[in-house]
Order: sequence, then structure tokens, then C-alpha cells
Amino acid sequence: MPNTVTSMLPHRSTSWLSTSATKGRKWFQRSGISGQLLALIIVMGIFTIGTRGKYLSLVNLQVILSLAAIPAIIAIGLHQVVVLGAIDLSVEGVVAFCVVIVGFLAHNKFNANDVGLWIIPITAGVGGGAGVINGLLNTKLKIPSFISTLGMSWVLWGLAVFVSKGQTIPLLNNPLRAVVNGYVLGIPNLAIIAFLIFAIIQLVQDRTRFGRYLYAIGGDEVLSAQAGVKVHQTKIFVFGIAGVLYGLAALFLAVKLDSAQAITGNNLLFPAVTAVAVGGVALTGGIGGAKNAALGALIVTALNDGLILLDVNPYAQQAVNGAVLVVAVALTIDRKKLGFIK
Amino acid sequence: MSAAVLELQRITKRYPGVVALDGVDFTVYENEILGLVGENGAGKSTLMKILIGLIQPDQGTYRLRGAPVVIKNPAHAANLGVGMVFQEGCLVPNLSIMENLFLCHEIGFRHFGFLSKRKMRDAAHAALGTVKVAADLDTPVSETTPAVRQMIEIARLLWLSKLYQQRNPVLILDEPTTVLTDDERNTLFSIATELKSQASIILISHRLQEIVETSDRILIMKDGKRVANIQARHAGIPEIEQMMVGHAFAADRFREDEQIPPGDQVTLTLENVSKRGVFEPLNFEVRQGEIISLVGLVGSGKEALCRCIAGLEKPDTGSIKLAGKRLTPGSPSEAVRAGIGHIPIDRRSDGLALGMTIAENVNLLVLDHLKVGGFISPQREKKNALRWIQDCRIKAPSPSTMCVNLSGGNQQKTVIAKWLSSKIHLLVLDHPTRGVDVGAKDEIYRLIRQLARTGVGMIIMCDTLEEDIGLCGRMLIMKDGQLVNEVNCPPYRKPSPSDIISSIV
Amino acid sequence: MTAPDSGSATITQEKATVGHKRLQIPAIYFALTLLVVLVILFTLGNQNFLSAYNLNTIGNYAAILSVVALGQMNTILIGGIDLSVGGLMSFTSVLFVVLLQLIGVWAFPICILVALAVGYVNGAILTRIKIPSFIATLGTGGILTSLALLVSPLPVVAPGSKYGLLDLVNGNLLGIPNLLLLALAAFVLFYVTLRFTKIGRNIYYVGSNIKMSWMSGIDIVGTRNFAFVLSGFGAGLAAIMLSCNQFGGDPTLGNVYILQSIAAVVVGGTALTGGTGGAVNTIIGALILAVMENGMNVVGVDAYFQQSILGLVIIISVALTFDRTKTAMIK
Repeated sequence: MPNTVTSMLPHRSTSWLSTSATKGRKWFQRSGISGQLLALIIVMGIFTIGTRGKYLSLVNLQVILSLAAIPAIIAIGLHQVVVLGAIDLSVEGVVAFCVVIVGFLAHNKFNANDVGLWIIPITAGVGGGAGVINGLLNTKLKIPSFISTLGMSWVLWGLAVFVSKGQTIPLLNNPLRAVVNGYVLGIPNLAIIAFLIFAIIQLVQDRTRFGRYLYAIGGDEVLSAQAGVKVHQTKIFVFGIAGVLYGLAALFLAVKLDSAQAITGNNLLFPAVTAVAVGGVALTGGIGGAKNAALGALIVTALNDGLILLDVNPYAQQAVNGAVLVVAVALTIDRKKLGFIK
Repeated sequence: MSAAVLELQRITKRYPGVVALDGVDFTVYENEILGLVGENGAGKSTLMKILIGLIQPDQGTYRLRGAPVVIKNPAHAANLGVGMVFQEGCLVPNLSIMENLFLCHEIGFRHFGFLSKRKMRDAAHAALGTVKVAADLDTPVSETTPAVRQMIEIARLLWLSKLYQQRNPVLILDEPTTVLTDDERNTLFSIATELKSQASIILISHRLQEIVETSDRILIMKDGKRVANIQARHAGIPEIEQMMVGHAFAADRFREDEQIPPGDQVTLTLENVSKRGVFEPLNFEVRQGEIISLVGLVGSGKEALCRCIAGLEKPDTGSIKLAGKRLTPGSPSEAVRAGIGHIPIDRRSDGLALGMTIAENVNLLVLDHLKVGGFISPQREKKNALRWIQDCRIKAPSPSTMCVNLSGGNQQKTVIAKWLSSKIHLLVLDHPTRGVDVGAKDEIYRLIRQLARTGVGMIIMCDTLEEDIGLCGRMLIMKDGQLVNEVNCPPYRKPSPSDIISSIV
Repeated sequence: MTAPDSGSATITQEKATVGHKRLQIPAIYFALTLLVVLVILFTLGNQNFLSAYNLNTIGNYAAILSVVALGQMNTILIGGIDLSVGGLMSFTSVLFVVLLQLIGVWAFPICILVALAVGYVNGAILTRIKIPSFIATLGTGGILTSLALLVSPLPVVAPGSKYGLLDLVNGNLLGIPNLLLLALAAFVLFYVTLRFTKIGRNIYYVGSNIKMSWMSGIDIVGTRNFAFVLSGFGAGLAAIMLSCNQFGGDPTLGNVYILQSIAAVVVGGTALTGGTGGAVNTIIGALILAVMENGMNVVGVDAYFQQSILGLVIIISVALTFDRTKTAMIK
């Protein structure tokens, strides 16, 4: 492969760990989502036994679905950036900022604004705008995505808290309340919305030119550009979609909590990145789709729900999540692509 | 008399210190297979890159189907019906065969905004049919064989020409047969002959037999110039070889008078060293002060052999011994510790830390010797750096100049200085004068002769056969992974390039 | 210049290596200028900025930030990053206070050893399991934070009986606060290591061109492990200094320092691409951050807005220092 610096190195796996990880990775990826489905069944099986069946109760399953919805939406937004070969760490900042926007513009206790249902396109637009800025920083200013999105996160988070003065803004009579909190045939609406979003994005990935370009860039950016792919445009668009989805997630979160505060955005990044990795989307890019991201979110939520039911120390839960992230990444990254890993 | 589909006139391309193409005229006619031959560095790649728009010429005109064009990039070239199938392949590995075929041109398959898989499949089957490939369209390209990949690229180019209604597309095949089996090769050439009726093909190959058998016309390049344009049926392989390397051999360009006979002691011993699929078991020795030249074309395995010697790759069998002691394979740090140096072909990405100073680069291997009381002494560092800057005649304002600001020749001298200062026993030089201007080249030859005098054995791979012959005392010729010949090159009685070329090709 | 006939298919190899001349003025002069400008600006905003009390506050903050930033600098120099410093600082701080109660003065060396061990583990995950440092340290940081919360979910106060031991940090030597002296000692340690030892110099080689370093026989694994161990040391020492200064440990105190340590390193002129910059750059960067943080408070900028400004400053500094010839494609 004519990749400048990284191609010529001999691929040395000096430790057995990394050799078996390579084998494990091939199995993990080649199987599409069958590996993940198997993992989900195993996880649920373990917890069902551990909780003596309580895990599989209708109530708990509904809880899992409803808890998994928002991380799934975020993961679907995030994973496309990862497929490109970049990373988007701006989740928390974008969500915080969009939540505050919701607080200010929807019918609330602090001011007379009430944009009604317009809040949906507004939030989506603000999130999308932030995403586009991420894309521009990465393509035009050539700042590596992990710093530019991290920086954006801090900038937006700070703005969010500054604008809201750190306070909680209660929402009043939000028209979306019934939608966000309701159920249809026992399935939480949010889960249905998440499913719809997954279906749309998966369709776009499978059946549009944009989907081809997304995977081409992730596979080999230089060759794609040479073949005529408009790399910058596609990247900006991908970051933009991610932002839109974060914005929508923020809206749903705010409505669900019936209030808007900047810290709503906290602790969303880690589960999202874990969901993406566990779902089988390789950090090195070019592999994995919306189904992987959504399924990954489901697995992570199912795992954490089980841990809670089993009364595991909440702080140990974070440790488990950390370990799962590291293992999932180790299994999915393509080491040949990275050459010398930094 | 066919019309000319592509005409390049007086094309010149210069790089600092070297003229890659010097007023070259190049014409491709409709419905022909044109063979293009020449040594490495003759200018073939540069010319082809200009054809497809990867680089722009400094001077000259480019006419396509009679009209002048400026090709902006390879995608533009492909839309105009000019495309190249590279050795390394240009397909995106994780996309399927079908996706690669139509990448960036799927707009015709849209059906209410979405891509119609059915239409794409039909078109793909048809496209692959023209190159006689039957494969599962959804296979990711990374899982296909090189032969199939080449065909996919050809199919894509043909399909694009039809899409954009470009008559008689020009397909460039760059050393297509190096990765093919004999059967695949025959298939390729039979398809090429069939395609002649609707396209022109430029075939670049070092296998002169293939060129003579398949081409209609043969173009020979040397030193950036076009030296011959002959009809294939009138061509004999020995004549082609002669024209590729020329007769004249400028003596003393390589400081022949400083060439010394090798010492008695054996520095490097290779016993039964092989690498599966790359080179067969080899045995040879390098003595003190001896300069060995490794010669061979692409696919000969010489680059991999050198990498094994330098510890950058592990051979599959055999042992490499330095002064009798066996070296752990695949470990550059071991090789360096034992006293093996390696001047890489790509000094910018592999040879230097560009963001650091000359002194820091030169002293990299000898920091332990520059310590006082356990800590690196700035005075000793400066002194060592100055000494080698002087010795190697590196032109720079001071030892604290950053290497990125040096010229190519001075950068190369810095790399050499780094190894010189560290008391090596064997030095592997990979194209040491590539991209270096004439004056610096001579200074590098001087350094090489100096190294030999101090007893350092050297294995060298050069840009031109003349340089190899001129510098070495003994030449090892490799072909298709085997050592096929060994030629002595004593001073004043050097063989001429035409003597050697027949073993190589 | 790349060889004219290299036969390579890529466009970017040509573009990326065409005569790129480095900025001749070292980044350090920009950093110094920025520092001076900031001081002037803030003094104009509020003359109390230069009061002895305020300078003392700045000094304390800068001292602690310097130590953790100096550690972080090593991982950035080598081309990676350490996102676990926050979690490590939190964990070390609560561990330190708990150990003070149990084993008195031995808490100091034990905590340092633990920090070194964590650094080593970070390095090992990178070199043995080959996971990129920013994901590996993100993971270990998360694990450390939860460990900190496990040890003590709430801030824990140092036992009064051990206050004497805390004087190691809180006391004075010849009128100069030990806190500053410790920071100075750390600076000297890191400076000397980077400049005058072989392994320190190897950090630069590896960060500047890892492939060349490997081909020249430099021990890549050892050098990288060392860089992460140094980062662990910085975080651990800073945590101890902070805990002494605040008379207690806090399982969340480290979070802020992830951003701040990276900012200090980058603003001081050490490029994220690695291979350039150093201890002096980082000290200046830490001072700039301390001055900014303090100055914005003194002048009255909203506390939360400060985070935004910091984020912006980082983006701009990276944009200016990132060596684009190093990566043909920016991911």
C-alpha cells in the first residue's frame, strides 16, 4: 500500500497477546454483528442467572431499552466519524450546549420563550453547526480530530455553563414530553426513535454514494482522494451529522429530565466510545456501520443494568467499563494500518 | 496509419540536482500496444505520472485526441480516458469489487435517490466480462488476488471511458506481471491483445521477452531521454539491452583510482539465508574493505535481502554472521550494536530526525562515548559534531542547524556521518546518491572510498548500473529471488553495462 | 526532495515533502512574549494582580501544575499523550492521606512508587498490547478515578497528628516555600534527564522520527515506557504536593489537571507531534496558564467561561505548533 510512512515496517507481533488479538480481531469483525449478538446473549444469560430471572422481567427489559436509546443515538452519530478514521470527543460539550439552548428556548420557567416544536430543528441545527465546525477544524485547519473535538468540547461546555450560569432551568409543558416518556406496545418510544434513526443511517450507508465515500475514506484516504472522492466535503458532512444526532440526544435528555442543565452532558462520552468499540467499529476506520453502533450501545447498557441489579459498587462499574473499552479496542483495531502505534 | 490519441512534446521535468525528463517526445497511437523500457531512473515513472496528472511537467505540451489538455489529477485523467494500473494497486481495500469499480461515479445508478443494487450488479458483470473475470461482486478487494485486482482496475478504466464517451482510452500497465503466475500472465496478455481493438495499452516491463512478444512498438528511455522508437517485429533483445544502458562508461567518475582490494578478514557471512516468496537460500561473504554491489530489477529480492542484513526483517532460514558471531535476526538494535549500519533509501522519512539539529543526528549512535560523569557533555557533543561535519564536508552554518533546512546532499552526508562516527564494520547503502546533485555525489563517493580504506565492508545498491559497476569490487546479480551471477569489477578493468544487463533482465 | 522515480502512487508524498522550511524562531520566544503580554494586560485590568499575596497564589498553582505538566510533557514529546494523569492524581491524593494515617512518613515514597507503577502499566499497554496511548490512558484514567472513589468516595482530611509530615511540602527553606522548591527540583530533574541523559535524548529521537530511531537501534519499547513512567511520576508528585497543601485528599481533584497539563505543555511550545519542546517550554506554559487562570478571576471573567477560553487557547496553540509534514493525512 502506498501509504507514506507506515507501510514499509515489518509487522512484528512480539507478544502472544497481540498475535491472538489479531486472530480475535478477524473473527470479531468478519462476523458482522453475529459476534456482538452472541456477546449480548451471553451477557444477558449471565445476568439472568445471577439475578434469578429478575433480569428478564418485562420491566427490566423496558428499562434496558429505554436506557439504551440515548447512548445509541449518540453512538450512531459518533461511529461514522470513527469509520472515517478520526474521532469525535466533543459529545459532552455539544450536548451540554444544546441542552442549555433547549432550556432557554423551549417553554421554561426563566424566560418567556416558547418555540414549541421548532425546538427540534433548532437543536439539531445547533448540534449540526458545532459538528460542521469540528469538520472544518479538521479539514481546513488540519488540526487532528482528537484535539480539535476535545477542545471544542471544552469550549462548548464552558459556554453552556456560562450562559446558564450553572443553574438548572426547569422546562414547562413541553409538547414532546408524552413522546419521550411514552410506550407503544410496551416498547419505550425513545427506543423506537433510536431504531428509526439507526434504520435511516444504515440505509444511507448501504445505499447512497455518501455511504461509499465514507467507507472509502476510512479504508484509504489517499487512494480515495485519487479516485476522485471529495474527502473534505464528506468529512465535514459526517461531523455535521454526528452533531445533529448529539443535538437530538440532548433534546430528548432535557425533555426526559424536564429540566435543562449543563451537566446533563457529563459522562456521555465514555459509554458512547465504548458502545462504538464493543459494537465492532474499528478505531482504525473503514469498518462497521450503524447496526454495530446501536448494538454496541445495547450491549453496554445491558451490561451496566445487570451490574446495578447485582448491586455491584458503582465505582467498580466504571472500572469494568474501562476494562471493556480497552479490550474492545484491542480486539478491533487493525494494527497493520497503524504501523507504529502512538 | 492510425491516428495519434496522445501526444507529448518536449516534456521536461526537473528536480533539485537532477533532470528527470529532458525534452521527451512521446506519442501513443490508436489501437496499439506500446512497450516502454528503461532502467530505474530512466524517467519512465515520471513520464507516466505526467500522463495521468499526478505531476505537472515544467515544460512541454500535452495533447489528447488532438486537443491540448492540462490534466489536473488522476481522477480527471480517468474521466478523459487515460488511466494507470500501478504496481501497488489503487483500489480501496475495504470496499467490495463492485464498489471499487464505480467509486465516485455511481450517479448513474440512482433510483429515487438511492443506489440501485440491481443496476450496479448488471453493470459490474458486464464490466468484469470485458476482462474475463468472474468473481463474487461483494468480496472486499483486500481478499482478492493481485491478478484480479489488476483486472478490476482495467475494467474500471474501460467502463469510465465508455461512460464519458472517450474514444480509444489509454491504459498504462506498470510492471503488471511481477505479481502474476504464468497462467495469469498469459490471460493478461491475451486480454490486452483483445482490448487493442478499442483501446491503446502502454506496457511497462523489465521482462524484455514479454515486451517483444506482446507490443506493437517499443520505446526505450535512458537518463530522462527517449533513445529509440522501434517496431517490435524488428527488435532483438540484445539490441534493446544495449540501448537501455548505452556503451560509454565514464571512468574515474566513481574515483576508481581509489578502489582498493579487499582485506583478508571476512566481515559478513551469509549462510543459507532465505525468505519465503522473496528470495531463495543465499550464501556469500563480504570482506574487510570490500564493496559489494547488489544488482537486480524489481522482484529480484535484493531490497529484502538488505533489510534482513540490517536487521529490519527476519529471514526465514539461515544465519547472518558478523566477524564470525551470529546475529539475532530481525533486530535492528542488535545489528547496530554488532556494527552494521544502514543508509536507507528514503533519508527524509527514515534516515534523519528532521526536526532536530545536525549535531543531534550525528551523535545519535555515540552518546555513550560523549558522556562525562554519566551525563552527556555539550562540549563533547559539539566537538564530535564539528569533526564529522568537517570530515564529511557538510555545508551548514553550524552544528545547531536543523536538518530540515539542509539540501538533499547535505542531509545524506549527515546520515553517513552518523554511521561513520560510530565505528561500524559493515555498511548497507541503499541508493546513496538518489536525489543528490553532482557535486555532493562525488563527495559521497569519496566518503565511500574512505570507509573502505578503514576496513568497513559495504553492500551497495545504486540508481544506475554504471554507478554499481564503478563503485564495487564485486557484483552480485539477483533475479527472481536467486543469485544468478557474480562478476568481478576490478579497477581499470571494469565490465561494461551491456555485459551485465543480460543477466539481469 | 523525494526521488523522482520512486514509483509511488501517492499524491501527498510529493506535496508533503516539498521544501518545508521550519519556523526559524523557536516557539519558546512566542510563549515568553505571551506570558509578558498577559501579565501586563491583567495588571492593567486590576493593579492587585501584582500584589505579593496574588503572586503567591499564582506561584502555588503554577508549582503544582508545573510538576504534572512536566510529567505529561514526556508522553507528548514521544508523540503520545497521557489522559490518565487526572485519575492518577485523584487516586494518589486519597491513597496518600489514607497511608499517612497508617504508615506515616512512608506514605511519601509508597505513593511515588505506585504512581511510577501506573506509568509503567500505561507504557506497557502501548508497547505490548499496542493500543494507542490516547485510548489506553483514557481507559486507565477511568479505572483510576473509580479506584479513587472506591478508596474514598468523599474528600478525606489529613490526620492532624501528621501535620508535621506535611511540612515537607508546606514548610519553608531559607524563606522560600518548599512547594516552589519541589517544583524547581522537579524541573531540574526533568531538564537534566531530557538534555543530558541518553534515554532522555532518545525520547526526542523517538518522538521526532520513530522509524529512523528503530532502524538506528534505539530501544523503542524502553524509551516509551520511560516516558510514561516519568508522566506517572509527575502526576504522583503533584498529587502529593497538592494534598499536603490542602491538608487533605480528594478523589475528584485530578480531573481538572488533564486539560491543564496538556494545555501547559502545548501552549509552552511543545508540539503534539513530538520531538520538539522541553522542560523550559513547559514551565513557561504552566506559568501562562497559572497567570491566565488567576488573572481571569482577578479581572472578573466568569469562572465557567474560562474553560471555554482554555479550550480555544489549546486549539490555537496546536494549530500553530503541529508539524504537518509529519503526517501526510491529518486524522
